Amino acid sequence: MTSIRRWLLAALLAALAFAGLAAATATYLSARDEVDALLDEELRQVALSLRDHAVLDLRRLESVAANPAQRVLVQIWDPAFDRPYVSRLVGTSPMPRTDEGFATVLHDDRPWRVFTLFTGRQLVQVAQPTALRTELAARTAWKLLLPVLVLLPFLGLAGWWIVGRGLAPLGRIAGAVKERSPTALTAVPTVGLPTEIRPLADALNDLLSRLDQSFSLQRRFAADAAHELRTPLTALNLQVQLAERAQTDEDRARAFERLHQGIRRATRMVQQLLTMARLDPDAATATPATIDVGKLVASVVEDARPLAAERAIVLNCEGATDTACVSGSEDALRILFNNLVDNALRYTPAGGRVITAVSRDQDAVQVIVEDTGPGIPEEERERVFDRFYRGRSAEATGTGLGLAIVSQVVEMHRGAVTLEAPDAGSGGLRVRVRLPAATPGSEPPSAQGASDQAST
Amino acid sequence: MRILLVEDDAMIGESVADGLKAEGYAVDWVRDGKEAEVAVSATPYSLVVLDLGLPRRDGIDVLKGIRERRIDVPVLVMTARDTVRDRIKGLDAGADDYLIKPFDLDELTARARALMRRAAGRSEPVIERGPLSINPATREVTWRGESMSLSAREYALLAALAERPGVVLSRAQLEEKLYGWNESVGSNAVEVHIHNVRKKLGEDVIRNVRGLGYTLATE
Repeated sequence: MTSIRRWLLAALLAALAFAGLAAATATYLSARDEVDALLDEELRQVALSLRDHAVLDLRRLESVAANPAQRVLVQIWDPAFDRPYVSRLVGTSPMPRTDEGFATVLHDDRPWRVFTLFTGRQLVQVAQPTALRTELAARTAWKLLLPVLVLLPFLGLAGWWIVGRGLAPLGRIAGAVKERSPTALTAVPTVGLPTEIRPLADALNDLLSRLDQSFSLQRRFAADAAHELRTPLTALNLQVQLAERAQTDEDRARAFERLHQGIRRATRMVQQLLTMARLDPDAATATPATIDVGKLVASVVEDARPLAAERAIVLNCEGATDTACVSGSEDALRILFNNLVDNALRYTPAGGRVITAVSRDQDAVQVIVEDTGPGIPEEERERVFDRFYRGRSAEATGTGLGLAIVSQVVEMHRGAVTLEAPDAGSGGLRVRVRLPAATPGSEPPSAQGASDQAST
Repeated sequence: MRILLVEDDAMIGESVADGLKAEGYAVDWVRDGKEAEVAVSATPYSLVVLDLGLPRRDGIDVLKGIRERRIDVPVLVMTARDTVRDRIKGLDAGADDYLIKPFDLDELTARARALMRRAAGRSEPVIERGPLSINPATREVTWRGESMSLSAREYALLAALAERPGVVLSRAQLEEKLYGWNESVGSNAVEVHIHNVRKKLGEDVIRNVRGLGYTLATE
């Protein structure tokens, strides 16, 4: 696991050490130049003073040049002698002759800086090992580098503490997040958070609030479902008891028929609860497909034909003339139309009619499912979309979930569903579903933020 | 004994009505709150079995309406709302007892008997009227120490007359107690049942009170 603290610290110390070294190198180079100029001048001055004062008398020179503090080597060639005068002998042989001016020569296996002056009769050489200059420059650079090196461990400690303090808000957030549980998804406190961590905390809080919402929806759904299952269970319980105590065969047969009805209803309710729980609210936007509503409704109607025939209901499907496509989830839309057609067949008395029609206008695909059943009173038309609401229609043994599922799917696709009474006096119910049309191949209308978040 | 059943769910309503009828009660079944209010003010019921989640008018409102109009029929509430608060609310609104769905048919009839017994001012489960004793729980009738076998209607007739000591019931009142709305009643049905009871138990078990109706013999 990488540690921001360790990484920051190592990087900072490395940068500091590198800066120290660079500064020392630069100092060394410039000090070399200055020392060169200074010592060259010294060599020249020594040579000139020898010419002016002491050259003629080589013996007087002893005291001057033999002084080791002078750190210079003086060598004078006189035509009167075959060997040059040397202030102190370095190595086994004298330094070779050089041309007038500055030069660097190798003598005694060391490089020397030599200044050569020709006085007319004598050749004066003043020399100094170059190592001296390097040493001086290096000493200057070292003086600069040393404090940096000494300070480095202290800087390390200080850096460790500073970085730790800087990262403390992260630790606080981690602690706050750890305290959260699926039942208490409150926002983490953002007061006093540094600007760098604020976006993280905000994103986290956004996620927490959406999680909380989704959890509470699920909890409410489970509670509602459990509550509503009591009704079919109560009926089953009573029906079983009546079957048990039936006295005659006729009574028993009737009781068992009712029991079967009760079981069918409970089964249907459980199926619809499952459907509802499985309807993924993001399905329409997460993996959208272009769906031909005309074809889909036609296929739903075909599937419903046996039920229509059994109930002696005429089932018509008026197809769309144009292609009527929407973008969304085919499974969800199939459930939607299935529910509408199924409802219509269920509530329409034998001999009635159920008509479906698909059409397309400017920007919407419209599906109408119309029946000749009892209809829904105007004051109930809003409430029937609520989960578990059952109308007061006498034969209704429905689950109260069908239209809630319809409304959920329509919402998922950003459409609208309305209930109307068909043309005056004829009774029945007309369900009108409008879904935003998709031009084939175009992008689906994105749910606000939902698809973006789903893909990240 | 006539019971008003208020339940919007067809399957539950059907089963409860059948279960109560099998116990010898006359049952009127309505499916919404408004119908319940109309029924309860039109007919003197021995008991109202009331579901709370009703269309058109909520069960609690129906209950409050009944009590506001000073109708003191015992009310047995049956509901899926099972929190303590809901139960307190129901009882405070005037319910006499509470049954949580899903419930047992036997429990429903036992509570119904208890409520009707208390409404009749009795605390002992067996009704003793002179030589006649009736056990509503087992619907056993004993006459002068001998166990008698009666039909459901005959039993209901005796139970209605025995409900309060010394009560005199007219033919119309007896008819009302014995039959629900949707049952066809022959014009002399009550007389036929009285005749049958007298044949089984003896002429002196039910006495005619001239101009008023019928009452139980006291000794």
